[in-house]
Amino acid sequence: MIFSILEHILTHISFSVVSIVLLIYFLTLLVNLDEIIGFFDSSDKGIVITFFGITGLLFTRWIYSGHFPLSNLYESLIFLSWAFAIIHIVSYLKKKNHLNAITAPSAIFIQGFATSGLLNNMPQSAILVPALQSQWLMMHVSMMILGYGALLCGSLLSIALLVITFRKVGSTFWKNNTKTKFLLNELFSFDVLYYINERNSILLQQNSNFSFSRNYYRYQLIEQLDYWSFRIISLGFIFLTVGILSGAVWANETWGSYWNWDPKETWAFITWTIFAIYLHIKTNRNARGINSAIVASLGFLLIWICYFGVNLLGIGLHSYGSFTSN
Amino acid sequence: MILTLNPKILHFSKSPLSRPSPRFYRSRTTSCKLQNPQDGKSITKTISLSDSAPPISEKTDGGGNGGGGGGGGGFLKRLPRKVLSVLSNLPLAITEMFTIAALMALGTVIEQGETPDFYFQKYPEDNPVLGFFTWRWIFTLGLDHMYSAPIFLGMLALLGASLMACTYTTQIPLVKVARRWSFMKSDEAIKKQDFADTLPRASVQDLGVILMGDGYEVFMKGPSLYAFKGLAGRFAPIGVHIAMILIMVGGTLSATGSFRGSVTVPQGLNFVMGDVLGPIGFLSVPTDSFNTEVHVNRFTMDYYDSGEVSQFHSDLSLRDLNGKEVLRKTISVNDPLRYGGVTIYQTDWSFSALQVTKDGEGPFNLAMAPIKINGDKKLYGTFLPVGDTNAPNVKGISMLARDLQSIVVYDLEGKFAGIRRPNSKLPIEIDGMKIVIEDAIGSTGLELKTDPGVPIVYAGFGALMLTTCISYLSHSQIWALQNGTTLVVGGRTNRAKNDFPDDMNRLLDQVPELIKTSVD
Repeated sequence: MIFSILEHILTHISFSVVSIVLLIYFLTLLVNLDEIIGFFDSSDKGIVITFFGITGLLFTRWIYSGHFPLSNLYESLIFLSWAFAIIHIVSYLKKKNHLNAITAPSAIFIQGFATSGLLNNMPQSAILVPALQSQWLMMHVSMMILGYGALLCGSLLSIALLVITFRKVGSTFWKNNTKTKFLLNELFSFDVLYYINERNSILLQQNSNFSFSRNYYRYQLIEQLDYWSFRIISLGFIFLTVGILSGAVWANETWGSYWNWDPKETWAFITWTIFAIYLHIKTNRNARGINSAIVASLGFLLIWICYFGVNLLGIGLHSYGSFTSN
Repeated sequence: MILTLNPKILHFSKSPLSRPSPRFYRSRTTSCKLQNPQDGKSITKTISLSDSAPPISEKTDGGGNGGGGGGGGGFLKRLPRKVLSVLSNLPLAITEMFTIAALMALGTVIEQGETPDFYFQKYPEDNPVLGFFTWRWIFTLGLDHMYSAPIFLGMLALLGASLMACTYTTQIPLVKVARRWSFMKSDEAIKKQDFADTLPRASVQDLGVILMGDGYEVFMKGPSLYAFKGLAGRFAPIGVHIAMILIMVGGTLSATGSFRGSVTVPQGLNFVMGDVLGPIGFLSVPTDSFNTEVHVNRFTMDYYDSGEVSQFHSDLSLRDLNGKEVLRKTISVNDPLRYGGVTIYQTDWSFSALQVTKDGEGPFNLAMAPIKINGDKKLYGTFLPVGDTNAPNVKGISMLARDLQSIVVYDLEGKFAGIRRPNSKLPIEIDGMKIVIEDAIGSTGLELKTDPGVPIVYAGFGALMLTTCISYLSHSQIWALQNGTTLVVGGRTNRAKNDFPDDMNRLLDQVPELIKTSVD
């Protein structure tokens, strides 16, 4: 009982803090004032609080369910938002940046989805089916989710890059492309938010409004986005590789083969292949960031198919409705 | 102000080419602490290489892996070289990867391994999916068994060939270039680098020591300096490719040299391994251990409080040809038994029979029949006839069970009579008859396999994990040239490009400003 209350409190703390962080972003968008900068910095502390909130939540579940809290979709979603928080903190510690404009909305979106009524019976901590009772669960699933988190973050940055690049093109063909541009904005509103945010902060720092410097900063921003998405995707790729391989070793212990062409496995492999393509395009120095960004945004879609699509259809060995009945 | 000199530095000072000024040790003013560089390469050896090493050419500057074909071995004739250069083409490799990804995605969309009739109905000719896709496509391309279809395996083989060609023509020459290193002799060349800076009143020796403290390998020749770190990050992509090839080889061996089979054995019975195992490919060769007999001593299921199954256990004894027990182990899901190359997995279960006594008669062994199997929602049933069993409409008691834990009993009219647990000895009374459920006998579903490819695949897995992680490292190179009292520094890195200028500035800030203006 005390655990469920604790869990409830922690869920609400992390959710409301991350909402406040998002609110601060909207405020900095609307009110372009110098004193807001103080607010802006406090949002980083907000992410740290969220991080501890989710960590506590996961530990609570671990203690009262007696197994690593990654046995169903709800728990993996919570873990995913935890992964976003940790990506933010690690990259922030390394170098001060505004990456949380990507990580904070992602975390709130994931948390909101997890706690909303959509997954009604999910929050109950489920029992572990026989196949999941293994030490590999911890390694495989945590690596996969960390990989998903990093790759989602990196590919969102790539999508942001695409949006900004297309805005530039769009302004020259303004009349022809109004509709497409509108759609793009609609689709990637989060990333536009990011862009505006980033630009605002730069403008705040520089106090300059010349279109020349604007173009220069836009170019710099594109470079930054390209760089960060490359580094984060590289990191996510490592996690994904380790996750898939540990999953293969686990499958060899449980299902009798290290590769079964199960839909989830296959889609994870497809995702892996797409990001391998991304990394290969990146090795070409002359290639523009836009090519790799298109591949990365394709990867963004694929991760969601891999993460959700296969689960929703409930097919294959990863459905956990069955005791490997095939 | 503590300066710890490690053997490397002493080595460095003895090197005939570096000619350090005596000032180097006497009047140093930096307070940096030196660490032992990680990459253990003999400096003297590398320095002797430098005399013959040509400067790094522009063409081979390109990053990481892939890229256009370079020079192959001289012994190759023209045609193979052309094939190699085509195969190692990066756009081709990317196309192959895209195709493989698309085929795999298609394989999850199209149902695999169904009967031909299924495809005739699902993809009819008169109403094609997307306007063109009919069952003819599926059978021509073998899309009903995508992951063993020639088109898919062919693409994988092509990708493997590309991997090898790229490693041979692009990556290995890149290593040769990266191992060579050269000093830059002019300010202009250094200033052309991604990062460049000019330090007035600084000494190249001080920079060398600081770089060494930051983990760089430092080489000096007169006024010139060359330093690098993270060379492993440059080499790791080769390891990634080799690991991929290893996994492919292991996978091929698995696909051609395995035995597989599954069996459902009631508790108390036995089987011979060789009878269950069937060859998968043409390289499958049976071994002596196939004569081993497996006896199922006991099959049990664990339950949660809610009644759901938590684990399955099969107590197995292996006996050799003489009937001697060679191994005994209780296996469960995630805990298979391995003996002589054969692995036995716990994968399934079934209800074999129910032991009941009627009015003290018996016990009768009633065979349980599966009624509905839907995932783990299994349902088994049996029937105990009452009265004249030869009558056309024989009546009896029905018993249903979802697991080995509780049996639901229905009377002659089909009405619910009660639930009993096996072993409870509690009789249930139906129309004056006393029925006691003595025992529920389960069958264990075992899967057996041999797989000669696993060691190779696992080696590939290990190598892939390791090399992918190492690939994250940046290979950074720094050049510097002393020009009077001015020090020109330039450098570049292949991955962490944005962090590099910051790191460089941090390091260059440590370089002490010379007060005395005579250098060498």
